[in-house]
Amino acid sequence: MKHFFLASILAGALALPAYAADYTIIAPANPGGGWDQTARSLQTVMQQEGISGNVQVQNVPGAGGTIGLAQFASQQKGNPNALLVGGYVMVGAILTNNSPVTLKDVTPIARLTGEYEAIVVPAASEIKSMADLVAALKKDPGAVSWAGGSAGGTDHIAVGLIAKAAGVDPTKINYIAYSGGGEALAAILGSQVTAGISGYGEFESQVKAGTLRLLAVSSAERLPGIDAPTLKESGVDVVVENWRMVAAAPGLTDEQKAAVSADIEKLAKSAGWQEVLKTKGWQDTYLAGDAFNEQLAKDVSATETVLKDIGLVK
Amino acid sequence: MATFDFLLQGLLVAAQPTNLLYALIGVTLGTAVGVLPGIGPALTVALLLPVTYRLDPGGSLIMFAGIYYGGMYGGSTTSILLNTPGESSSIVTALEGNKMARAGRGGPALATAAIGSFVAGLIATLALAFIAPYIVKLALVFGPREYFALMVLAFVTVSSAFGDSTLRGLTSLFVGLTLACIGIDQLTGQARLSFGVPDLLDGIEVTTLAVAMFAIGETLYIAAQGDRGPDKVEAVKGSVWMNAADWARSWKPWLRGTVIGFPIGAMPAGGAEIGTFLSYAAEKRLTKHPEEFGNGAIEGVAGPEAANNASAAGTLVPLLTLGLPTTATAAIMLAGFQQYGLQPGPLLFATNPQLVWGLIASLLIANFMLLVLNLPLIGLWVKLLTIPKPWLYAGILLFATLGTIGANPSVFELGMLLAFGLLGYVMRVFGYPIAPVVVGLILGPLAEQQLRRALSISQGDFTVLFTSPIAAVLLVIAALALIVPLILRARGRGQVLAQLAASED
Amino acid sequence: MNKGNHPSVETRRPDRAALIIAVVLALIAGLIFWDVSRLTGLAGYSQIGPTTVPYAIACCLIGLAIWTAIEGWRGDFAEREHQEFGPVFWIVGGLAAQMLLLNTLGFSIATGILFAMTARGFGRRELWLTIPVGIAFSFFVWLIFAKLLQLSLPSGPLEHLFF
Repeated sequence: MKHFFLASILAGALALPAYAADYTIIAPANPGGGWDQTARSLQTVMQQEGISGNVQVQNVPGAGGTIGLAQFASQQKGNPNALLVGGYVMVGAILTNNSPVTLKDVTPIARLTGEYEAIVVPAASEIKSMADLVAALKKDPGAVSWAGGSAGGTDHIAVGLIAKAAGVDPTKINYIAYSGGGEALAAILGSQVTAGISGYGEFESQVKAGTLRLLAVSSAERLPGIDAPTLKESGVDVVVENWRMVAAAPGLTDEQKAAVSADIEKLAKSAGWQEVLKTKGWQDTYLAGDAFNEQLAKDVSATETVLKDIGLVK
Repeated sequence: MATFDFLLQGLLVAAQPTNLLYALIGVTLGTAVGVLPGIGPALTVALLLPVTYRLDPGGSLIMFAGIYYGGMYGGSTTSILLNTPGESSSIVTALEGNKMARAGRGGPALATAAIGSFVAGLIATLALAFIAPYIVKLALVFGPREYFALMVLAFVTVSSAFGDSTLRGLTSLFVGLTLACIGIDQLTGQARLSFGVPDLLDGIEVTTLAVAMFAIGETLYIAAQGDRGPDKVEAVKGSVWMNAADWARSWKPWLRGTVIGFPIGAMPAGGAEIGTFLSYAAEKRLTKHPEEFGNGAIEGVAGPEAANNASAAGTLVPLLTLGLPTTATAAIMLAGFQQYGLQPGPLLFATNPQLVWGLIASLLIANFMLLVLNLPLIGLWVKLLTIPKPWLYAGILLFATLGTIGANPSVFELGMLLAFGLLGYVMRVFGYPIAPVVVGLILGPLAEQQLRRALSISQGDFTVLFTSPIAAVLLVIAALALIVPLILRARGRGQVLAQLAASED
Repeated sequence: MNKGNHPSVETRRPDRAALIIAVVLALIAGLIFWDVSRLTGLAGYSQIGPTTVPYAIACCLIGLAIWTAIEGWRGDFAEREHQEFGPVFWIVGGLAAQMLLLNTLGFSIATGILFAMTARGFGRRELWLTIPVGIAFSFFVWLIFAKLLQLSLPSGPLEHLFF
């Protein structure tokens, strides 16, 4: 049994056949996080589906992905076999960190998956609906404390957008930033704060158990299987998606770009990738080509506006 | 009682020969990777998790439990023998443990660490099984102000790692606090002390600082002694095992360490290090051999090591009962659980009892395997010290840099390793203690953030810091811990002052 | 850690090293004041903003600098043992070499050089022996961690030779 086990590791690790397209995927985050998981899932599915024989994942963590982005843009220029995983968080981080390298300096290929924001309150809270929360916010913005992820991140941006849509000065929001989802969730469950905001997945099990009340989600339409109105329905015209994408190196020829796009499309449509989405609970929001570029440009300009409104970007 | 049935069933499954083998492989791999300086339990679990995917759910769960406990334990061996803590939670172990090893008592130090880890792991895992729902309620009561009070208490206890000079201890602490300011301020997103360098935006990695200050600083310092230092450390003086006196002095610290470590591990913003600091301070206050502290007191190894492992089990409390990943390790585990179809959350115990109890049974087995693996190895580990110095320290630097490169292969990170290594060397030359620097880096941001969160939620009302009963009690304990020794010292200072006055002219 | 084990005869002489340390501490404090002063005090609803704690730390550092200077002036500062700098240079050189060569020559060669230079610092002068030993040992370590455990360690010419 032991021999079999060791042999299987050895076989898996050492006997990698050399395929034509060997990819290197840069995950601009530490092992274990969302981008790292995306990169490693890409690695598994690409090898499993025969899209590429040898895929390496490299972690370049730091500063909301901007360090990985900068390194990728300079070192991989013109290399058709390098991929970068990224997402909406990067858009905010580029702005707040004044990063000299932006998403314009790489070749975005496709959006792969995404998650919508959820607004929750503790089950015992007097706030019963999004309308109640908006009313409280209008009455005294400082008295409504929001727990969410890091300052300038997706959660913070969403709160800024909500305040703005509700006609409240975004600089007056009382946003309490936490480092990890767990810490923020503990603060909400312990009723240390008024409301909480994060990706729906963070709250899912609590909402199902009835310890948190889900007020609204930030999608454009109601999400299947989730019993909550959208922000739009609740009279707050805000749509936020925390998406993850894959980008190629800058300076590729059109053929090279098309080849990478074809590989990624094949991946996104494969049974293996759909299986990964299901087990990880990720939404399939695949979007490629011009449609994706358009969406990206819209997201970047909207984010810049709101970060200026909150006062995080000058 | 259904609880016992499930646990027994889980133990029966886990005790099958193949599963025991998986537990052994998991513990071995976990220890092997966890032993590397700079690779803590989080990275160990992240790296080795894919290995478990190839097995059936039962087997992979058991191997995973082995990796987790192995990674948690691995750091203490290098701490004790080589004064190079593998991760932040075994820094305190190095303080007394390495002094013991230098005095030829590395065997007992490793043994008390291994047995203490086992005892703490056993009690804490059982506590996880039976009182988790109550502990988690306590953990949720902790808001920013209670955490702030806890951090104040932790700061007060740091003074026990100051060594003999208050000035140099405080200076070390403030160097650490200054380093802690570097990076993006978490609450406002502004960059502090980063001078436009993007690599500094995420702040100084605790493991980088610890590895540099301890492993590299120590190596440079030993090298600078030239031929004067003892050529070879005498590896074993007396017995390699613990004698009766060692047992008598160890069992109470093990239990106290468990009681301190478990609840702190269960707190969403606690962290394993803080339990080890508090345990060390408690042992230093309670010991009957205060003169040995700083020179190799076995209590100073037994208590913190127990606290370290108890908090590893404590981390699982909010994870299993609430689905709250409170540490990086727990967040990675959450991803692992999803692989087994386990969705941690408040309903987990009700909807998935087999797997939960299977996990708890696996943890018990893994804990036992760790002891089985490590006790016989102690004799071998101690022999490490007999390797000739050139090879030993070349190997230490190889593994110290390997950990950093594996976590983040960037030239900048290695540059920081070198710079902080030199800082650690210079501080050793001038007799500054090293531990407070790392402690400052860990506690500084926690205390600052919790204070600002508390004040932000109260919209600037300072009185909230004292009006919560828990916070008030913690602050009173901190005040007593600070004032009582001062009074005692002032009473005993008469002679010292007289001496000083005499030598003044 | 070395404590003042050998009380020197001339303890009452001002200690220049202590004065330098005091100056360095004061400089760090100045650096904090300078850097933090350009932050916006954007505190939100708490009176303690992103600047408060750094200012407090800087003030304490100045206090510590004065205290250190006084001890240094009175000669109360700790005694140092004699340090040999040759070995230190070898090891620091090894670390610097590894840092600079890592991404071009790969893990095994760069770390092998570090290994040999550290051994040299501890008195093993035979670089012709220690460099090959170091590279072989590093390559073995690379095999285990990069290939078996999937750690991302940079590879160079030597690693490409085999994989």
